[in-house]
Amino acid sequence: MSLVDRVVLLGRAGLDTLAALGRSGLFLVNVLFGRARFGNGWTLLVKQLHAVGVLSLAIIVVSGLFIGMVLALQGYNILVGYGSEQAVGQMVALTLLRELGPVVTALLFAGRAGSALTAEIGLMKATEQLSSMEMIGVDPLKYVIAPRLWAGFISMPLLAMVFCVVGIWGGAMVAVDWLGVYSGSYWSNMQNSVEFSEDVLNGLIKAVVFAFVVTWIAVFQGYDCEPTSEGISRATTRTVVYASLAVLGLDFILTALMF
Amino acid sequence: MNDASDYIVDLRNITFRRGSRVIFDNVDIRIPRGKVTGIMGPSGCGKTTLLRLIGAQLRPDSGSIWVNGQNIPELGREQLFAARQHMGMLFQSGALFTDLDVFENVAFPLRVHTDLPEDMIRDIVLLKLQAVGLRGARKLMPDELSGGMKRRVALARAIALDPALMMYDEPFVGQDPISMGVLVRLIRLLNDAMGLTSIVVSHDLAETASIADYLYVVGDGQVLGQGTPDELMNSDNPRIRQFMQGEPDGPVPFHYPAQDYVQDLMQTEKDA
Repeated sequence: MSLVDRVVLLGRAGLDTLAALGRSGLFLVNVLFGRARFGNGWTLLVKQLHAVGVLSLAIIVVSGLFIGMVLALQGYNILVGYGSEQAVGQMVALTLLRELGPVVTALLFAGRAGSALTAEIGLMKATEQLSSMEMIGVDPLKYVIAPRLWAGFISMPLLAMVFCVVGIWGGAMVAVDWLGVYSGSYWSNMQNSVEFSEDVLNGLIKAVVFAFVVTWIAVFQGYDCEPTSEGISRATTRTVVYASLAVLGLDFILTALMF
Repeated sequence: MNDASDYIVDLRNITFRRGSRVIFDNVDIRIPRGKVTGIMGPSGCGKTTLLRLIGAQLRPDSGSIWVNGQNIPELGREQLFAARQHMGMLFQSGALFTDLDVFENVAFPLRVHTDLPEDMIRDIVLLKLQAVGLRGARKLMPDELSGGMKRRVALARAIALDPALMMYDEPFVGQDPISMGVLVRLIRLLNDAMGLTSIVVSHDLAETASIADYLYVVGDGQVLGQGTPDELMNSDNPRIRQFMQGEPDGPVPFHYPAQDYVQDLMQTEKDA
């Protein structure tokens, strides 16, 4: 391959990326600001909240529990060397609320709900369900995409909160019940060091931003995919990869701005 | 029929390309109101594309597409969705919503576009299902239906809002003789009983010719011929004759263009 061919390929890849960004931007504007016309929007939203949020609860709870337990165990092993094992509660809480809660929830959400959203929408496209909806005079952006997008926005921050609560509880199980850290120290140190606006609110803001980005990527990849089995497979992979990278990148930016 | 109002669809000077490939090159097609019009041609000649242009799921590179007095490519998003309520389309796969049962699939357009009370929706759905012979299957899910039944349910859904124009995309593909016979009969029957205009895109010659009042044969980005089925059967045009008689070789060659056969065999490299 000659140098010119390589430059051409690079240019084409750049143009394709820009075109995809443009399409995803227009897509988002149409989904969020297009005129809603359907009276059963709430029913659709509740159905998607169940599919996207409630069905993700198991993986979030189990992961939160184990991550909290591991944090407490690792934290104890390090802090005990300095005679500061009483601070394990605040370490667990701050790590979960500021970082691991929103980030791990977003990564799990991308893998569980994001990939499912992409595959579902992609399959609807491949089986002409979206086309038939258009020909019935129903905008699939309003009827199919919008409820899924809003369900993601709403449910992921709630899942992040559940993750943090379960993680802190898991940390207490290990630190207090197993390793013998004084219960009063675990909880009171946590209460003294965690600030609502600095830690809880900033963590929540992170979760909201991640929810927005992950769900947007998931529904767009499904809607924009090539309507073949291979196309759906590629789109599903792209959802997990792009969403994970976006979450980790944005986490650094948000952390730099917030703390 | 020389008055514009006699034609429900009027495609004027339509050019449509996919990348560098020209699908339609300055094509004119008019669909007479109240008739069954067949659009025929070899696979990949753009028949389905034509339906998607009429339904504005694709936009032409140039030309106008008038449907019921509206130039479809110029409509805004909201106007377009309103215009589509007067069109019905039967997709090749049926395209039923897999999370809804047969009844809810047919009720779907009524629920989103009307404020009818539930008992009236029920009556209309049962009427439409009765028309396609599937009233008894209303509680089944799409994955419990055969291919032919799926298309009939999709047909009932497409006519739920009593559209003025029905478009059928390859309705006979992959059907057993009984299902095909049912679909052929239904298309004609519904057209006449409901006062519809029907466009049937197909390459199944005998079935389409048996119900169509008028036929277009398209290929190579052009309208190769048009007329009643009898006129086209007796056409002198070699392209049309080859298609209508199903001859394997002719203006459309049997062999894909390639270098000389003997020369090709003499070469040793795989990609030479």
